[in-house]
Amino acid sequence: MSETKPKSEKRSWLIWVLVVIVVAVVTGVGVWYVTRPPPPANVLEIYHWWTSGGEKAAIDALVAVFEKEYPDVAVIQSPVAGGAGYVMKSVMKSLVMSGEAPDAFQLHAGYEMKPYVDAGYLEPIDDLWKSEGWESVIPPVVRDMVNWGGHYYAVPVNIHRANVLWYNKKILDKYGIDPATLNTWDGFFAACDKLKAAGINYPIAMGGQGKWEIAHALEQIFASEGIEFYQDLVNGKIDDPNNPKLVDALNTFKKYLNYVNPDYAALTWDQAVAKVIRGEAAFTIMGDWANGEFFVANMTFGVDYGAMPVPGTQGMYGLVIDTFEHPKGVKHPENSIRWLKVVGSKEGQDAFNPIKGSISARTDADMSKYGPYQRSAMQDFKNAKYMYPSIVHGSGAPEVFAAKFNDIASEFATTKDVSAAAKAIVDAISAAKSEYTKVWKLY
Amino acid sequence: MRLSKDNVLTLFILSSSIVLVGYFIYVFIGWNVLISFSDWVGLTPRYNFVGFKQYIDLSNDPVFWSSLTNNLLLVLLFVPGSLILGLFLAILLDVVGTRGEGVFRTIFLLPFSLSFVITATLWSWMYDPSLGVLNTILNSFGLSFLKSGWITDPKVALYCVILALIWQFSGYTALIFSAGIKSIPETQIMAAKVDGASGFEIYTRIVLPQLKSWVLASFVILMVFALKAFDFIYVLTNGGPGYSTYVLGLMMFIYTFFATHFSYGAAIATILFVTVMLIVIPYVLRVRHR
Repeated sequence: MSETKPKSEKRSWLIWVLVVIVVAVVTGVGVWYVTRPPPPANVLEIYHWWTSGGEKAAIDALVAVFEKEYPDVAVIQSPVAGGAGYVMKSVMKSLVMSGEAPDAFQLHAGYEMKPYVDAGYLEPIDDLWKSEGWESVIPPVVRDMVNWGGHYYAVPVNIHRANVLWYNKKILDKYGIDPATLNTWDGFFAACDKLKAAGINYPIAMGGQGKWEIAHALEQIFASEGIEFYQDLVNGKIDDPNNPKLVDALNTFKKYLNYVNPDYAALTWDQAVAKVIRGEAAFTIMGDWANGEFFVANMTFGVDYGAMPVPGTQGMYGLVIDTFEHPKGVKHPENSIRWLKVVGSKEGQDAFNPIKGSISARTDADMSKYGPYQRSAMQDFKNAKYMYPSIVHGSGAPEVFAAKFNDIASEFATTKDVSAAAKAIVDAISAAKSEYTKVWKLY
Repeated sequence: MRLSKDNVLTLFILSSSIVLVGYFIYVFIGWNVLISFSDWVGLTPRYNFVGFKQYIDLSNDPVFWSSLTNNLLLVLLFVPGSLILGLFLAILLDVVGTRGEGVFRTIFLLPFSLSFVITATLWSWMYDPSLGVLNTILNSFGLSFLKSGWITDPKVALYCVILALIWQFSGYTALIFSAGIKSIPETQIMAAKVDGASGFEIYTRIVLPQLKSWVLASFVILMVFALKAFDFIYVLTNGGPGYSTYVLGLMMFIYTFFATHFSYGAAIATILFVTVMLIVIPYVLRVRHR
């Protein structure tokens, strides 16, 4: 390429290049002008992680209530898949930190709100609580979970119960197991042995792909050690790896794991529920969002499947509460507030919860709209002796501990090493010491 | 450097890149190190100096040791695995010659052109112990004693990950080696043939010794990947079962964004950075001295 070209040839080259550039710029601007985005419309953008069958139907029903009320507002749903919001949690943090918070996003009540509240990313909505009269219809424990430093920062949309043992009723009937005998771990394991002897090798179905499914089961076993122990746990007061209740709970879980499907690490929570639906397993411990899965599989509560408190947790109600809030500096503040009004309204909650499998956070819910499982849950909620906030679902303990807890439970499921897990839990609590700012009073 | 007219112009043209790279890469590396000495938890930066607290906590954290071990296993198995398989494929390509080279090269490179998220999902289906194709095939050939929990068995999960990664990367290393083989002058091969060298001898005596710098380049790329591996493992196993497939990159992500423990995540990032530098710096020095 070293030979020099005649000057005129060089010039015509340059002209061609210029022509190409000019044409490209003109077409580019033209195309942009024609296809440019329309001026900001009247929209509401919400983020949530409700993507599985029953969950999606539920949020659609809530959005439908909003659209009926505000027909000129277009709702943009941005679902981020991943059970219990484990994927969305990280997405949301980066969005909020970069000032791109949507008009409202799903957030668990309790400690999961703390980083956002501490950093001033959420606006207090005390006025809204007052004007909508929520204080008189939402029970005190639930109110406390969205209240930080005396201010309300979120509106609960539902109450899920964490400590539910789901069972395939046909299987229990077939092998003559009375659900009433499942009230204690001894009774429960006796039933498992019976099923095992009858050829159901893994009577308990468990998921574990996201690890939290394992921690969820362990958390309910912790609750079965009594409310005093659980309160110490969520208040960061367990400092002895030889704590007899801690060790006992881990031993119970160790035994529990003997009956669990070995491929749990490849399954999501809903795949584990599906095992119970198909009758491959008899039991699964999962929050009552599982009811939606039974519902879409056309199973009838009390006939095909049943639910009861996890053994040893009778009279206790493990709280998993989803909320929406009003982030600071959102693009459509008015629609954000409108959304919260719908979320907290009787109509909105009674549209969402019957499908979602949860119960309304309001005490004035219209019972007739709910299915038989939820009606029994509403009764249990009313009569609950103790309520406790879930750790795994973001409420009970600081996130620093909660993230570790998933790993510890998952590791324990593979090693079944009680003393190592007890030590890991105590270490994780002490590492998160400075984060325990809320003092739970559960009894 | 004398500031001639040319140099001034060069500096002027490069200045925007220098500023951007300097700020977004080097300043942030420094910032990350700074954070790792703080106790920042939550979404607002907090710079209370706590010395080596995060590093000490890390040294007491079994997840960290498990992650580090797994990263080392990746280095020890995945890197040579991809190199050897890549070399083998490159030689095959060379032997096939121009007839099928284009087709085979595309086939070999295909896995690498797919996103990790996609390949990890595909592998997770194949490895599924109850429904996956692997166990199904083993079953139908009467080899059910070879069936395994694959990614659900903590003893073999990491090896499953490594195998899948070798599959994805070996086509890429094959491409590098194949370019290397092509750069060897034809005359040398001809001369060897005239001297009566066998095909095997040509590869071991002439081709392989001249691939040294290509091996080194792929080695560094694979090493750095083995240390910063994240997306593939995040999708395939999420670090489980237990801690069995945790790697530092994954641990950093989970403890930064799920636990909002930025100082802890920053400490892991710093350790990762130092480890990568330990590999890259000798390589850069070697290349510069040549």
